[in-house]
Order: sequence, then structure tokens, then C-alpha cells
Amino acid sequence: MKGYRKYFLNKILWLLITLVFAFILNFILPRMMPGDPVAAIVARLAQGMSNSTGMKQVYEQYTSLFGTNLPLYQQFFIYVNNALHGNFGISFSQYPRTVSDILKSSLIWTIALQFPAIIVGWIIGNTLGALAAYLKKGFDKVLLPVSIFISNFPPFGMAVILLVIFAVNLKWFPTSGGYGFDLIPNLSWKFVWSVIVHYQLPFWSIVLIAIGGQAIGMRSMSIYELNADYVKYSRFLGIKDRKIVWYVFRNAMLPQVTGLALSIGTMVSGALIAEIIFSYPGLGTTLLNGIKGQDYPLISATTLIITLMVLFANFVVELVYGLIDPRIKAAQAD
Amino acid sequence: MKHTLQQVFRSGKFVVGFIIFCILLLIVLIYPLIVTDPPLTIIAQGTFFPPGIYVNTYDSVNSPSTYILNLENAGVKRIASKLSDEDRLAMQEFLIVAGVPAEDIDITNTPQLLEQWNSNYDPSKNISGMTLARSRYFQRLNTSLKGLLKPEGEILAAINADSGDLEQIGLVNQNDYVNVGEVANVRLLALGTDNFGRDMLTELVRAAGVSLLIGLVAGLVATLIGLVLGLVSGYIGGIVDDLIMFVTNLFIVIPSFVLLILISFSIGQNKRGAFTIALVIGLTSWVWTARAVRSQVISLRNRDHVNLSKLSGHSIFHIILNDILPYIASYVIMAFILQISSAILVEASLSIIGLGPRTTEVPTLGLLMNWAMIYQAHIIGKWWAYFPVLVVIALITFSMNLMNTGLDQVFNPALRE
Amino acid sequence: MAKVMLEVKDLTTKYITRFRENVYAVDHVSLKVEEGKSLGIAGESGCGKSTLALSLMGYYFPPLHYTSGDIIIDGTNISTMKPDEIRKKILGQEIAYIPQAAMNALNPTRKIINLIEDVIQAHDPKAKKKEIYDLAVERFEVLGLPAEVLQKYPVELSGGMKQRTVIAISVILSPKILIADEPSSALDVTSQKMVIKMLLDLMEHGFIKSMIFITHELPLLYNVTDDIMVMYAGQIVEKGTAAQTVFDPLHPYAKGLMGSIIVPERGLRDVKLTAIPGVPPNLKNPPHGCRFAERCRYVVPECKVHPIEMLHIADNRHYRCIFSEEYLRKAYQND
Repeated sequence: MKGYRKYFLNKILWLLITLVFAFILNFILPRMMPGDPVAAIVARLAQGMSNSTGMKQVYEQYTSLFGTNLPLYQQFFIYVNNALHGNFGISFSQYPRTVSDILKSSLIWTIALQFPAIIVGWIIGNTLGALAAYLKKGFDKVLLPVSIFISNFPPFGMAVILLVIFAVNLKWFPTSGGYGFDLIPNLSWKFVWSVIVHYQLPFWSIVLIAIGGQAIGMRSMSIYELNADYVKYSRFLGIKDRKIVWYVFRNAMLPQVTGLALSIGTMVSGALIAEIIFSYPGLGTTLLNGIKGQDYPLISATTLIITLMVLFANFVVELVYGLIDPRIKAAQAD
Repeated sequence: MKHTLQQVFRSGKFVVGFIIFCILLLIVLIYPLIVTDPPLTIIAQGTFFPPGIYVNTYDSVNSPSTYILNLENAGVKRIASKLSDEDRLAMQEFLIVAGVPAEDIDITNTPQLLEQWNSNYDPSKNISGMTLARSRYFQRLNTSLKGLLKPEGEILAAINADSGDLEQIGLVNQNDYVNVGEVANVRLLALGTDNFGRDMLTELVRAAGVSLLIGLVAGLVATLIGLVLGLVSGYIGGIVDDLIMFVTNLFIVIPSFVLLILISFSIGQNKRGAFTIALVIGLTSWVWTARAVRSQVISLRNRDHVNLSKLSGHSIFHIILNDILPYIASYVIMAFILQISSAILVEASLSIIGLGPRTTEVPTLGLLMNWAMIYQAHIIGKWWAYFPVLVVIALITFSMNLMNTGLDQVFNPALRE
Repeated sequence: MAKVMLEVKDLTTKYITRFRENVYAVDHVSLKVEEGKSLGIAGESGCGKSTLALSLMGYYFPPLHYTSGDIIIDGTNISTMKPDEIRKKILGQEIAYIPQAAMNALNPTRKIINLIEDVIQAHDPKAKKKEIYDLAVERFEVLGLPAEVLQKYPVELSGGMKQRTVIAISVILSPKILIADEPSSALDVTSQKMVIKMLLDLMEHGFIKSMIFITHELPLLYNVTDDIMVMYAGQIVEKGTAAQTVFDPLHPYAKGLMGSIIVPERGLRDVKLTAIPGVPPNLKNPPHGCRFAERCRYVVPECKVHPIEMLHIADNRHYRCIFSEEYLRKAYQND
């Protein structure tokens, strides 16, 4: 267990470092650009928005909250402090709602949609990839080109096509939203059913996006492992084929777990766009609304939350990897 | 070199990918020479005209010579185009409510059905539960059925300038035809028009070209940065390596899409040209190349020929150029191809969330997709506005990945099955 | 006369390539190993010696396929047995194998003791973990390996230790024959010596009865084995005792190969077997006559007309050439 603790501390340290940089980037990137957020908000004030008193309030609140008249490094500490307290200011476009209020209502949808979908996609993709490598003939011939094509299909394309086939043409599922537009969220059976029905298409399109890449990766990993020297040697020791196949898939699976950690960021971005296509009430749609409404505080907070989500997911996957790959513990113990 | 090329072209996957890519490239280059219209001109008054050949009605009527063709089923076709099976079923439904016994209605017998309809249809009659839209539909249907079975042609009339009376100037019979070749104005809209009324095909070809350019620029930028960082990090090692690897690992876990969103948004819609977007994509996607190049360089660093070169007193620049680059060239090319295809996808994703290039200059595949989504083309069934775009994107990335897989099999024979 | 542990008669095996071509990498090979004896097999890389090692196991998987011939282990002909029967009763138990790349021969995610459990339980499903552990500890101690190794993962072992562990696992069921395919080629000199010593110890302790040792490093072979066989292009071209093959080779290829050993100079090991000009023939389409003809300096037109038969000149002394013993000896002397 000593080895694992070392690994764990290592990963925690790395998580903290990446968190710090995530905050710095989120803070600094928009401020380095010519059209910085304050200029944007002043411009909007000057345009004489319909709700100019509201805008003025936002501006004052923004100035005091973010300390925009202070030096940059002080601004940064104010920003981090606010962010850690969940205080992201007031939304420009959905005034007078606060950004954290908007995020609170959308974050849960994204988490409930994306993480199960990515995990299911990962499992199915790896199973198919392993089968393709093991069964080779026929199955491999059909599956490989299909998954190469699927994995090259743009993620949003998959979502659009599922939507057109199953929602528009077959009318099996609704075209958009997280629940029926005539319902108010509550715990009634009708509402839950509506949520389940609305969940299907976004869920399966994210699953499909995840399957393609994973299946190809797992297939080549398994082929590589099937040709490994230990397979031949184990056979000559008289070990049963079934046991050897188990060795191979376990060993091929391990790099796929690290692969998941590395690709989770890409998958989440793809999934955010799938949310947008289905107008799912998650972070993707919130982000789109923020961009449409030129709502700087909302965009900044949403991207920060997405980054944090990805970093934490990554961290969890790395921890799990440390648990299931015996070599990690062994290598760290020395 | 020649031998390597021969090997590459013997790989089936590479050749298929290369052919698809070349065809796409040829279309992008040649099409603008044939159809010279600017891609963003609005030609259609209205949105989403379906694909087809558009024949000018005025020119058809005034065509220099008309032809009479006595075709057997012309009448049947004419009726079918105005009275679909769906319409017939709706009529049957209405007639039953109106009191006509169901067994008397034969929806395949057009004259009888029309006769029953004419004597029973009453716009004021309400079917219980009928929506307003449904009753409007019946009104429209009723109007379009007028004169469906009459044998005569239509009279063309003009207003006499002196008397102000309508005077017959011609007659168009039901068996009159014009030759499309003789009609002055015929326009082929192979993919119809988009939501703004622009020729979809012209726009798509131009967009594919622009997207390929974006991919090329982004790919070049990313590959260059990745290559330089990878070479420096791998060859020099030590603290430089640690520093570069730290930054690289950082950008591997922080999703590049988030960086793209922040940067693109900060640049602002007006300053975002296609070129700027390409640069930004390139600047955020070099990490994998840097990592791959670094590990290759490290494995090369202590090879005999590199050591020999070092002992001969060659400069670092000379060594990298002559003793390292040729050995990693295949990896760099493969990484470059992948960068191009992923940059095209990234541009499309950015455009869909409204952070793509500004919309006033050139179309890109992402922008086309964005417009189609905003105008709900997918929900109202205007497939030509989005499906061809998806197919083009998929073909570009598919062809590039095939080329890449082919190259991989040639250069890494160990991975061959 | 000693008991024959392994007898191989006219064994032929082939590879079927992706393009459905047959490559006969082992072509009518016959050999015999008696109890307590060891046989060395030498040849350039690609001559079929590693394939022969695989073929001797009698357990084939693609792309290698059995074509014809018999493998008789201690009186039992295993060529007629079903693969699963061979797996259960023969592999590891009667005949064992040490692979060329021992570095990667162990499943990286399995502890050594678990692998040993898998091996023993594959042959005796009722074996108890405790008994297996005791046996493993005892066996490791006899062979001079620390018992802690059992609780480790392969990644935690050094190269030499890994190789010796592989050897210990291979003979855990005390097989009659051990086939070692270049077991020392990837190691440093000290580890090489330890591995060789360990192999010789195996015979002394009675963990194995006979051994076949395959290598391209000639000095090694001369010191380790009783008999030596030389392979070229899938065929055996020379057979004899170690001393005969090394100091009095008859086949021109063997002569070319062994030529380098007479010069016990520094760097000998690097001379390897590439001293003969030219490359071995393509086995997809081997020459009809003598396979070595293209590279042989004594070649005459008749060499290329008919396949060359193995000549039997004394008990345990064979070679494959159209020239007589005397002619060859004279020719070599004149050089």
C-alpha cells in the first residue's frame, strides 16, 4: 500500500498544479485579448441596451466583484477567491440571474448525461475492439471499417443524424430539451418518464462518439498483445487458451484506461456539442446561450467548470488505474 | 526516397484515402472555374429551395417554338402531382364525417371521389376535434382541386394598353411542351438553396476549400510548434526538457476546446477571420506532436550515426537537420495529416457554437453547419442544407485517416497484423 | 545404449503467409536426443532454427502449421495427438520451452507465483495453492533464486533474474526435454554465464533429462552441448559431435560458419555468422538443387540439378553435399 500512497500523492500534486493553471488560463486569456471583458461591457452600456439601468447595475457589481480597477495580480486573487466561493457575478444576458444560479441548474444535467454516456461508450467500444481482434475474420472485416468511419464522423454529425432519424422521421423520441416543455420539474412519474425519453438520443449519440475511437484503439492494443511474447510462452507452458485470452484482454485494457484519462477532454467537448444539437439543458447549451448573448461572466464560469470537471474526471481515472495496474504499485515502491 | 514512395503507394488503405482526397481537391479547384458566381450571393427569394433544375416559367411560356406531345399518362401524372394519396385519405376521412357511407367511397376512382367531394365539401362544416391548421388544409386542398379534370388549356391574357381590357394573347394546351434546351433561363441547383437563398452547392465547394485551407494552416502551425518543441526537448534534455514536458502535459489535461472557446470569444466576432481561427487552432493543438517527436528524438539521440556526427564536430543545427529529421520525417508527416483533419473538425465545432470565423467573407464547413442548425434545417426536413456538409467533412477526415493508417503500416511494420 | 528421449522423423512444418503462400521453414528434419545428452543447433538468423524449436513442441498455431513427420517423446508419438491433449499432457510436463526473448516472456501484470499456479493447475486442476507455493519455493532455492521473486511482478526483476525465473518456471513440472531458444542472447556477459550454468545444473539436478540448445553464438555451443547440428534454409546440413562439427566440419556452409571459431580472438562474438558472403535463399521458392549452391565457393553445375540427400558416414555423423568426405577435406586443406 506504500507504493500506492506515493502514487496517490503524486497525482494529487499534479491535480493541484493543473487546477492552478486552469484558473490562471481562465483568468488571463480573455484579459490578454484586445476586446477585454470590461471593454465589452462598456461597449454594451454605450449601445444603450434596452435595460440600461440593469446594465449599469451589472457594471457596478462587476467592477466591485472583479476589482477591475486594481492591478492584474490583485484581480487574480479576487477572482480565485470569488470562484472558490462559487461567486461568478451576474449574467449579462439573463439579468438578474446570477451565473452560479444558471450553472447550478445546468451542471447536474451535464454530469448525469455525459459521464454515464462516456463510460458506457468506453465499455462497449473496448468490448467490440477486443472481439474484433480476437475473432478476426468476418467480424473484424465488418467492424473495423465501420468504426473507422464512425470515429471520423464529426461528433455533431452523429447527433444530427440520430436526431433526424429517430426524432424527426420515426418520431420515437423528442427533438430537443431535457424534459417536456409543458412540464415543471418535480418528482412525478410523468416528469421522470419525460426526462428518460429526452435522455435517450443525446445519451446514445455521445455513446456512439465514444465507441468509435475506443474500439479502434482496443483492437490494435489487443492485436499487439495477442502477438506479445508472453502469449506464445504461456501457450507452451500448457496454460489454457481461455486463461491466456484473459491475460491479453486485461493487459490491453490497462492502456485503454490511461487512454480514457487522456481523451476525456476531447470526449467532453464533443458531448457538449451534442448537448447543443439536442438543446439539452446542460452546460453546452448554457455555453451557447452565453456566446449568443455576449455574456462574458457566463462563458468564463462555464469554461472554468468544464475544465474542473475534466481535471477531476482525469484524476479519478488515474487513481482507478493505479488500483488496477499492479505495476504502478510495484514501480513506486522502490 | 523513391522506394519509400513505391511502398506507400502499394498500401491499399493509403491509395484509397489518397484517391478520395485528390477527388475532393480537384472538385474544390475546378468547380470555381466552371461556376464563377461568388458563393455568398443570395439568389433565391425565400429559404431552402429543394434541389433540382429550375426552369424559368416566363421563358417557357414565351419559348420560340412549342411542341405537341401526346403522352398517354400525362393526365394521370398531373392529377397525381396535385392529389396525393395522403390527400385522398384525408378526403375520405372528411367525406365519412360528412355522411357519405364508407363503402361508397373509392379513393382510387378520381372522378367519383371529386364528384363526392364537390357535392359534400362545406368549408363551414366542423369536424369535432379538427384543428385550425387542419381546416385550412382542407380549404387549400379544395382550391387546388378546382378544374383538375377539365380537358382545356389555360388562356394567356394581357391588358390592352388602350382599352384596359384583358385580351387573349395565347393558349397553353395540356399537351404543349417546350424543350428545356430552348428555354433561355434554366438553373441547376443540385443541392438547392440554403436558409439565406444561396446556391448550396457553390457554397459547399467553396466552404470545403476554405476548411481545407484552415486545416492546412492550423496543421502547419501545430506541426511546426510541436516539431520544434519536441526536437529541443528531446535533443537538449535536462531542464529545458523538464520545462517543455511540464507545459505539454499541462495542455494535454486542460481541454484545448476550452482554450479555443476563451480565445475565440475574446478576439471578438469582427476580428475573427478564417485565417485567425486557423492560427488559434494551430496554437492549441501542438501537444501530441511535441510528445511524439520528443520520444522519437530521445530514442535517436544516442544512436551511432548521431554520435559519429557529434564527434565530427557538426553543429546542433546540422545534426538535427541531417541525422535526426530524416528519421522522424514519417512520424511528422503522419502527425501533420492528423492535425489537418482534426483542425477541420475543430473549426466546425467552434462554428456550431457560434465562435467560428466571421460570417461575411467566406463560408466554411462549420459555418454552413451552424446556419443549418440555427434555421432548424434538420428538424424541418431540409436535408440538403446539412447532410452534404456532414458527408464532405466525413470524407475529408476519413480519407486523411486512411492515408495515415496506410503510412503507419508502411513505416511501423511491427504493427502490421 | 542410452534411452532415446526425443526422436524426430522427417518433420516438416510451414508458415502460411498473409498472401496464402507456403513457406517451409522446417524441411524434413530428423534428429535424436538421448537421455542425459544435449544437442546444439546452429545457423544464421532466418535459417529456420527458431521455427524448428517451435515445431518440436508439437503444438501449432497460425501462421505456423504442421505438414508431416513424427515427434516421439520417450516412446510416445505426439504427432497423432489432439492439440488439447498435447496442451494438457505434453507441454510443460514432457517437453518445455525457453523463448528467445525472455525479457517479454512473462505476463507483466501477473505475479510470478500466480503464473506458476496457472501452469500447474493447467495440468492438474486439483493442485492446492499451498502445495504449489511450497514446490516453487523449494525449486527456486535449489536453482539459487531468492524466494521473494515469487511475490514480485516481472517488471520488478532485472534482465538476468527474469531470464533465470523463466527457466525455473519452464522446468517447474520436471519435463523430460527442454528446448532453449537463444536463452542468453540479450544478456550481458555475467548474466549469460549464470544462465548457461543454470541450464547445465538443471540436468545435474534431474529437473530435465535432455536438452536442445539453439543459438548463433558458436563458442557457447561448443562448451555446452554434446552434439551439434547445423541448419541452413530449413534443412539440416551437418550433424556430429560438438568436436567433430567445430573442428572437422564437412559441409561447406558449416565450414564457413565454423571457420571463425578457430580464431579465438577478441571480438569473436561479433563476427557471428555473417562471414559468408550472400544471403540465404527465399524459402517461398527454394532452389531445386543444393540450397547453399549460390553462396558456395566449391559449387559445380551438378549441385543445382537434383535435391541433395543427407550422407550418413558414421554413427551420428551426417552431412548434405554431393562431394565426398575426402574431396571436401582436401579442398579445405588447399585453401
